[in-house]
Amino acid sequence: MKTVFVVYADDNVGTAVLQPIQTGDSVATNGERSDIQLTARADIAYGHKIALLDIAAGATVRKYGLSIGSATRDIRAGDHVHAHNVESNRGRGDLAER
Amino acid sequence: MQQFMGYRRANGDVGARNHLLILSGTVYANGVVERVAEAIHGAVPITHANGRCQVAPDLRVTRRFLAGTAMNPNVGAVVIIDHFKEAGMTAEDLANDIAPTGKPVATVNIRGEGGYINALAKSTRYAQDFARQISRLQREPAPMSKILFGTECGTSDTTSGLASNPANGLAGELLIAQGGRMLMAECTEWMGCENWLTDKAASPEVAAAIIAGVQHMEARALASGEDIRGSQPTGDNMAGGLTTIEEKSMGAVKKIGDSPIIEHLEVAAAPTQTTPGNYVMYGPGMGAESISSMAAAGCQVLTFCTGGGHTSNHPIMPTIKVTGNRNSYELMRDTVDIDVSGVFTGELTLAEAGQIIYDEMARVCSGYLTKSEALRDNNSFAIHRVGPSI
Repeated sequence: MKTVFVVYADDNVGTAVLQPIQTGDSVATNGERSDIQLTARADIAYGHKIALLDIAAGATVRKYGLSIGSATRDIRAGDHVHAHNVESNRGRGDLAER
Repeated sequence: MQQFMGYRRANGDVGARNHLLILSGTVYANGVVERVAEAIHGAVPITHANGRCQVAPDLRVTRRFLAGTAMNPNVGAVVIIDHFKEAGMTAEDLANDIAPTGKPVATVNIRGEGGYINALAKSTRYAQDFARQISRLQREPAPMSKILFGTECGTSDTTSGLASNPANGLAGELLIAQGGRMLMAECTEWMGCENWLTDKAASPEVAAAIIAGVQHMEARALASGEDIRGSQPTGDNMAGGLTTIEEKSMGAVKKIGDSPIIEHLEVAAAPTQTTPGNYVMYGPGMGAESISSMAAAGCQVLTFCTGGGHTSNHPIMPTIKVTGNRNSYELMRDTVDIDVSGVFTGELTLAEAGQIIYDEMARVCSGYLTKSEALRDNNSFAIHRVGPSI
């Protein structure tokens, strides 16, 4: 059993700060919630995040109880959550009116 | 009231170090500055690429960085060397800025002395005299309330916001309880957490300044026409698992604790108040510029929280590296001072980690050398530019 850390109770991601996780590993949570058990659907490097719940495309990804960005595609519980499926909503000069 | 052993200055400041500063007024004096510093016991050179062809607002910021560094309580005496008489930032202008501190200051102009060799000789004589003069100062007991404690984070990863930064915020609270002040800069990394900070603002003016500072920095990013990703978070942040600037910010702002934010400062400006609490400063996320802005504001000591393991060290402000990533601590044991990764394994509570950081900071204020100080790896003096070279 591997463990990921959850900062706030309503976060939908956890962080692998104890050890890296391999696809298929059983994963539990500690920190602010310990009631979730899931199976990793991808390798999660040390320090990276795993989805605790399904997150629909466009929905808010929450850590520290706050938005860290929006899902750019449907994310399923157990997926690796990072720049390939989350985008920032701040400092986006690429979207600014020129 | 807890005390440390420091160097009392004429203006009442207390230094954690007693450095002789050899300060370059312009890029073209750097060579002389380095030679003088090599020649004299304990001298610290400050060199940089500025001082010529800057627009006025940018030159004013450079002047604040240079004069502020010399005014820092950790500096006992200063020799300033320049070449051209750059209007608005001559060696004499800098000396006038420093004068209210009452510390010994000498100025040398390379052209005025008739060239490099004469300037080198004159500067070396001043530096020799000052080195001996300040060597007579002894450390004396002083209250911890005299400490302005800077804090920075760099090469952050997801451990930063969960261990080293929140523990550091608790260390700051311990100092504030002793009447001290903590300073945090890097307003790029408040983006997404403005409300978390404004909730702590001691007045509506401070809250408005926090919002305006972040907007100004975000506008700089937008004006680039590029997505801020790649530069914020940086490539090493993203390798460490940080996905967006919002996520990075939430970890970064945890470097300060829950005490009120007393004042918002312009980059490299000293606080105007002595009220215990948190202080915040406008400035970039670029580590060397950021910590130099805090040294210029008068911080005698700084904690540098790092996920990936960092080498940053300011030439006159002891820079204590703290990590929550055990792998980084093992890799970078010769430059990272404190490992708080026990927070994740249950070996340490956050409160215990905060006490460890506070105790180390207090020891360093009394003279204990950081790892990077012992190596004299003085790599992190840099000046924030707010205008182009013309």
